[in-house]
Parts: sequence; C-alpha cells; structure tokens
Amino acid sequence: MKIFEFEYKCETSIIHKLDPRAKLVYVILFTVLTIYFTNPLILLLIFLSSVPMAILGKIVRKWLISIKSSLFFIIFIFLFNFIGIFWTTGKIIDTIIISIAMTIRFISLISIFSIFFLSTSPEDLMQSMIKLKIPYEYVLTFNMAIRFVPTLAREAQTIIDAQRSRGLEFEKGNIFQKVKKYIPILIPLIISSLRRAEVIADAMESRAFGASKTRSFLYTLTMSKKDFIFISICIITFTIFLFLRMFSYIQ
Amino acid sequence: MGIVEIRNLTFKYANSDKPSLYDINLSINKGEFFLITGPTGCGKTTLCKCLNGLIPNSYHGDFSGEVIVDGLSTKEHPVYELAQHVGLVFQDPENELFCTSVEKEIAFGPENLGLPRDEIRKRVEEAMAMVGISHLRERSPYELSGGEQQKVAIAAILAMKPKILVLDEPTSNLDSLSAYSILNLLLNLKKEYEMTIILVEHRLEIVAKMVDRCAIMNEGRIIAIGDPREVLYSDIVESIGIGIPKIVKLAKRLKLSSRPLSSSELANILKVKK
Repeated sequence: MKIFEFEYKCETSIIHKLDPRAKLVYVILFTVLTIYFTNPLILLLIFLSSVPMAILGKIVRKWLISIKSSLFFIIFIFLFNFIGIFWTTGKIIDTIIISIAMTIRFISLISIFSIFFLSTSPEDLMQSMIKLKIPYEYVLTFNMAIRFVPTLAREAQTIIDAQRSRGLEFEKGNIFQKVKKYIPILIPLIISSLRRAEVIADAMESRAFGASKTRSFLYTLTMSKKDFIFISICIITFTIFLFLRMFSYIQ
Repeated sequence: MGIVEIRNLTFKYANSDKPSLYDINLSINKGEFFLITGPTGCGKTTLCKCLNGLIPNSYHGDFSGEVIVDGLSTKEHPVYELAQHVGLVFQDPENELFCTSVEKEIAFGPENLGLPRDEIRKRVEEAMAMVGISHLRERSPYELSGGEQQKVAIAAILAMKPKILVLDEPTSNLDSLSAYSILNLLLNLKKEYEMTIILVEHRLEIVAKMVDRCAIMNEGRIIAIGDPREVLYSDIVESIGIGIPKIVKLAKRLKLSSRPLSSSELANILKVKK
C-alpha cells in the first residue's frame, strides 16, 4: 500500500517553483497549528486552507490519491479514539466530537505533507538540506537511497523470478511459512546490494569524491520575492488561527 | 618513459589465496590506444583498479611493485588526485549514474573538486560536446538507452580532464550497434584530443583494427603484447578462451602471407590474388 505518493513529476506550477525552504516554513507552521488545536471546526478550517495549495500546484489528483490511500489509517484512528475515549469518559457526544477532531487532524497532516512532497523535486529537497547545513555526505546518502529504490525493486523481481523457476512457491502455506519463503529472496538481494554499493563507492572515488572540503555546486537555491511573499502569507494565516483560539476563549 | 609505467606489479586481494596479478610489467605511451583482453577472471578489472589507484588505496591486500601514471605513483597519491590524471569508466553505467539529470551527473566530478561555478559550467559543456550528448542535458540518466548511459558515464569522467582514459568492458551490456558507436567515440577521443586510451574489451572483431597495441592476459599474467596483427596471429592466443576474430581464423586457414584484421582488408587481399 502506498501511503504517500512520493513520486515526483516535473511540473511547473507556482507551488513547484517555490523555494523548498519556503514550503518547509509552511509545513512547520501548519503542522504546529494542527497539533495545537483540538476544536474540530478550526481543524477543518486548517484542512480547507491546504486545498488551494493543491489546486495552485496542479496536484489535486495525486493529492486525493494520497489521502485516499491512507483511508485505512483514517478509519483506524477514528475507531481507536472512539473506543478509547468512550471507555474512559462514557460521554457519547464528547467522544464523537473528539474522535472527529483527531481524524481531521490526521487528514490535515497528510494533506500538508503530501503537498510538500508532491511539489518538491528530490533534487530541490537535497539542495535545501545542504542549505540547512546538513553535511553533504548525509544528503547524498538520502539522495542515493531514493535513487536506487527502482533498481533494487527490479533486482528483487529478477531474484523472485529466478527462485520461482527453481520451484519456490510463494502462494502455499500459512503466514509463517510464507514469511520463511522470503529468506531466499532477501539473502541474494542483500549480497547483491552490498556488491553494488562497493561498485558505486569505486565509481564515486574515481570521480574525486572527497577531494575538497568545500564542495561547489552547479545549481544552488536562491530565495526570491515570491518566496518571501509566500512565507508572509503563511505567517499571517498562522497568526489569524492563533487569534481564533483567543477568540474562542473569550466566548 | 611512457605515460603509464607498471613495474613488477603483483597484487593479492586480502581474502583470496592466490594473487590476481603476477609480476606485470607494462609501459604505455602518450596518445596510444591500448587494448587489454583475456578470458574472464584473468585480472583485467584488477589491473584497471590499479591504474587509477583504487588499488592499493581503497582495497586491502598484498601490493608489491609500482604503478606510475602521468608521473604520479599510485602508492603515494590519493584516488581523488589521481582521478584528475586518469579516468576509469566501469562496466555497468547504471551503478555509476546517480544524479537526476545528465548535466548534474557530469557536474558531480568538478563539484567534488570544489571548482568555481563558471569552470564547472565550461567543463560540463566541453565534456558533453566531446561525446556528442549535448541534446540530452535535461534528461534523467535512467531513462536513457544503455549506449547513451555509457556515453554519459564517459562524459562524467572527461569532465575531470584526465589525460588517460581507462575503460573496463564498456560495451559488455550493449548491442553491437551501440557498442560500435562507443568504440568509435573512443577512437575519435584519441585522434582529436590526443588522449591515451586503455580499453578492456572482448569485441575484438570491432576493436582489433582500431588499436595501436594490444596485450593478452591469462591467469594474472600478460602472455602476449604488441601490434594486434602480431598478437592475434600468434599461436599462443588460440590456446586460451578469447574470441579470435573470424577474419584472423579465415586468413590463417587460407595461409595468407599478410595479416588482415577486417573484412575489407581481407577482401582487398583476395581481390589482388585473383
């Protein structure tokens, strides 16, 4: 099951063109909001505020898919909260309200994070990590991990096919027997990954990896006017939501 | 003295019980197109790793003798320094390419050197022009064909501005047409940019007529070295498992006095005889 649609498609919407750091500000501020509030109406408002982002980013379809594919967790969170709170308090109306609030909170978080990942290329993400002073070795490791997922998947498929043609049956047996049958897949996969890692290390060294302490970059990120405007909008909305909280206290 | 000098090189990997290379002596001249061939497991890949200093710098084992490339001893200089003198292209380009676009892939080496941005831009453009892939710059390396990927891998090495290019079976995963295009590209690099090229290759049918000299390895030793016409027509090569070009076999059967390496050469000889 895919929880998030991590796959990035190169598009050129306003949201895609924003600096990832500006989008990170959005993610942090709105995550704080969703965790801070417990009122279901305000949480719903926070969720709705992320809808225009998806529309502007032209990612509505994929955004919907990532929410839809977490349906299992949404139901799970609702039921878990419902049973748990009803068990301890015994008040049916409060229980329903809080359960709904928790569910909306979860959906909002998924919405915010999937907007970020759907509109940011892995390369941009890497560049912003570098700008955030994360050491290049870690950033490169992260990048490589993403890069070699399809390669590894293909290799796993080859190994599965090879073991199948030697008579390994995955469909038969109970759950424990089935899990055991994956060992002849995992061992060759791990060994070939280690070998591949060695070759990659050689290739990187042959291209002077680690030559200079201060690595330079062909492309770097620069914050432009539209990024600052976007950050300002985020901060203003953030403050408005905080005012809503005060307002509800006065009431 | 040649641009590459190997003296009494013996190397044994830490986990193996017999040496992969025995007493190798080799001298390669500047601007030479040098071919190394031999059966699988004869030590060709190990020799390639010795040439750019991965052995002895990154691999454990017993290393004796000396490898000097472009005046630098591989024992005394780190791989990243040697990488600017000798470039190594590997067998499977898929493992060498890890960036999101061709341009960034080629920029990886110069970026590691910490060069200023203008210089990186210049080198990337030059490297792309040298192998003729400027039109692919925005593409992602994994969506390219095998031949194009190998060209990107070569360009990525050329961006380091090495004088010597070492290629370890660059065409083994390619179809004949792409292989032909890669090998022709190498010939062009030699002729136009005066690069020294050391090629490990099995497709003797194509490369035999391109190279200046060739060496044949077997069980960690160089068993024959010299002009491809001499080496491929010698009796020693028939006893080991390498694919001798059909032209050579045919010419031997016909007991021709001259030694053709390509079908057109053979055709010319036969025409004259008629």
